[in-house]
Amino acid sequence: MTEVLLLGRRAVREVIRYPEATIPTLFIPLFFLAVNIGQVSKTFPSTTPFLNGQGYVAFQLPVSLMFAVATATTGLALVTEIDSGYFDKLLVAPIRRTSLIVGRLGADLVRGVAASTVVLLAGIAFGAHVESGVLGAIVCVLLASFFGVAYAGFGILVALTTRNVQATNTSFLLFFPLLFLTPNFVPFDRLSPVMETLARLNPVSYVIVGIRSLIIDGWVVDKILVCIGVILVMGVVLIGLSLRAIKTYDS
Amino acid sequence: MERRLTENNGKDPAIEARGLTRTFKGDVEAVRSVDLRVSEGEIFGFLGPNGAGKSTMVRMLCTLLPPTDGSASVAGYDVVSDGDEVRRSIGVALQEIGLDPVQSGRELLELQCGLYGITGAAGRERASELLELVGLTDAAERRTKTYSGGMKRRLDLASALVHQPEVLFLDEPTTGLDPASRLTIWEEVRSINATGTTIFLTTQYLEEADELCERLAIIDHGEIVAEGTPEKLKGDLGNDVVTVQLKGADPAKTQAAIGELPGLERVVPAEDALALYVEDGAASIAAIVGRLHAAGVDVGAIAVDQPSLDDAFLEATGRRLEGAGDGDGEDLGVEQDEAAARVLTP
Repeated sequence: MTEVLLLGRRAVREVIRYPEATIPTLFIPLFFLAVNIGQVSKTFPSTTPFLNGQGYVAFQLPVSLMFAVATATTGLALVTEIDSGYFDKLLVAPIRRTSLIVGRLGADLVRGVAASTVVLLAGIAFGAHVESGVLGAIVCVLLASFFGVAYAGFGILVALTTRNVQATNTSFLLFFPLLFLTPNFVPFDRLSPVMETLARLNPVSYVIVGIRSLIIDGWVVDKILVCIGVILVMGVVLIGLSLRAIKTYDS
Repeated sequence: MERRLTENNGKDPAIEARGLTRTFKGDVEAVRSVDLRVSEGEIFGFLGPNGAGKSTMVRMLCTLLPPTDGSASVAGYDVVSDGDEVRRSIGVALQEIGLDPVQSGRELLELQCGLYGITGAAGRERASELLELVGLTDAAERRTKTYSGGMKRRLDLASALVHQPEVLFLDEPTTGLDPASRLTIWEEVRSINATGTTIFLTTQYLEEADELCERLAIIDHGEIVAEGTPEKLKGDLGNDVVTVQLKGADPAKTQAAIGELPGLERVVPAEDALALYVEDGAASIAAIVGRLHAAGVDVGAIAVDQPSLDDAFLEATGRRLEGAGDGDGEDLGVEQDEAAARVLTP
């Protein structure tokens, strides 16, 4: 456990000391939030049924939270470490290999909480109101952050299997279809039949819907439970695969 | 976990390899059936050119890479089945300096201490000791990305020592360093060894192997082609070596012209040169020049010297070691003290 804390602290230090790696990941969600609201807020005024009396910013906020937490930062940090040789240094230390991943995921959680808090506060500044209250806002931040941790498993997997900076960097692009084949602009029932089918098959849709329900509707238990379930399954699969990848690294 | 140690001339083997082999995809045999015994407290050198298999050998002994055949033990533990015990017993400074650019020198060493279970005040104290040992106390709070190549190498060395390992692996510890930094590393290696740590050192520098190693193995194309003390490897070659630079002259004609020179032990062709191992180099020079002149063979410079490890490498592999005579030895003032070379041009 000590080794996980030590490695996690180091990874947090890395986040703090390399703000240039974190700031762009905040710029994109804030940019999308501002642009989307600016473009369609007149189309969807607060009288729109699915907005429950709120502005369109409340509907878009979960999408921006996804953007803020789903980054290639951890995978990139890992592949850079492999490139520099420091990873080998850590591998010859008498520690569990999985600690190297778990420590980094711990730092991801810290980074995710910070980034999603900033985006949520920006959304509130743009006029959104979290219907489920302060506790609901905290749950929003935690759900988004844990989704980010689960998604980081994918970047780590790419980093460990390719050991290539470019491949790890471009793996982030795979997130775009996952984010846009969702009810990101309108609810499921307003999508075309094909898009609705694809969106309903996409697990990220349920994370967005769960967080959105906390902002727009209040405490809708079934949507929150599905959201938690999806994050758990994603985490188990992606982090499980990355832990297996490090256990079998160079063997 | 029970340690298994066997006797080796009164000393236990710190490292033992039996038929150790590593084959990569595409049937590339990086290390071919290497047998090796390194005694406790020894500085053992692994000398060879780039791509000879040195780093692959180190990675297998450090548990970073499993062998495809054969077996090896380090500090008495099998590198495959007792990997954790091996890792607890060794310190490693790999060829690529493994430093985290985000951390300061002190933070990096304290983290390294923590990974070996030395935490809190003990970790802080050990980090300070090591910074002092490698002369980095003044730079301790700076991030490692601001360090020079020599400073990085010294910090990497310090990070391999946090837990006072029984066996220290140094993979080309001075490659890319300036002569002054190289000498500093050599001094540190000697002082670490003086505390009883066994050192397995790979190098492509002849003078480094000659200066530091009690015994060494020459590795080429993944195989050990010669092994022994530097003195033995050089002594096996004879008393003196006369190098005749051919400058385009035909090797066979040149050798024929020299003929059965008195005291000539053997002739080894090198790249555009002939190495003549003789009993008395100085006495042979005049005869060689005379015979070449009489036969009308025009050659370049002729030099006489005592056999070096490069000659041992030539003898074992049929070619000179890459980088030999690149000036490093001269810069360091190491080889020229031994050399009593006279260069004559016929």
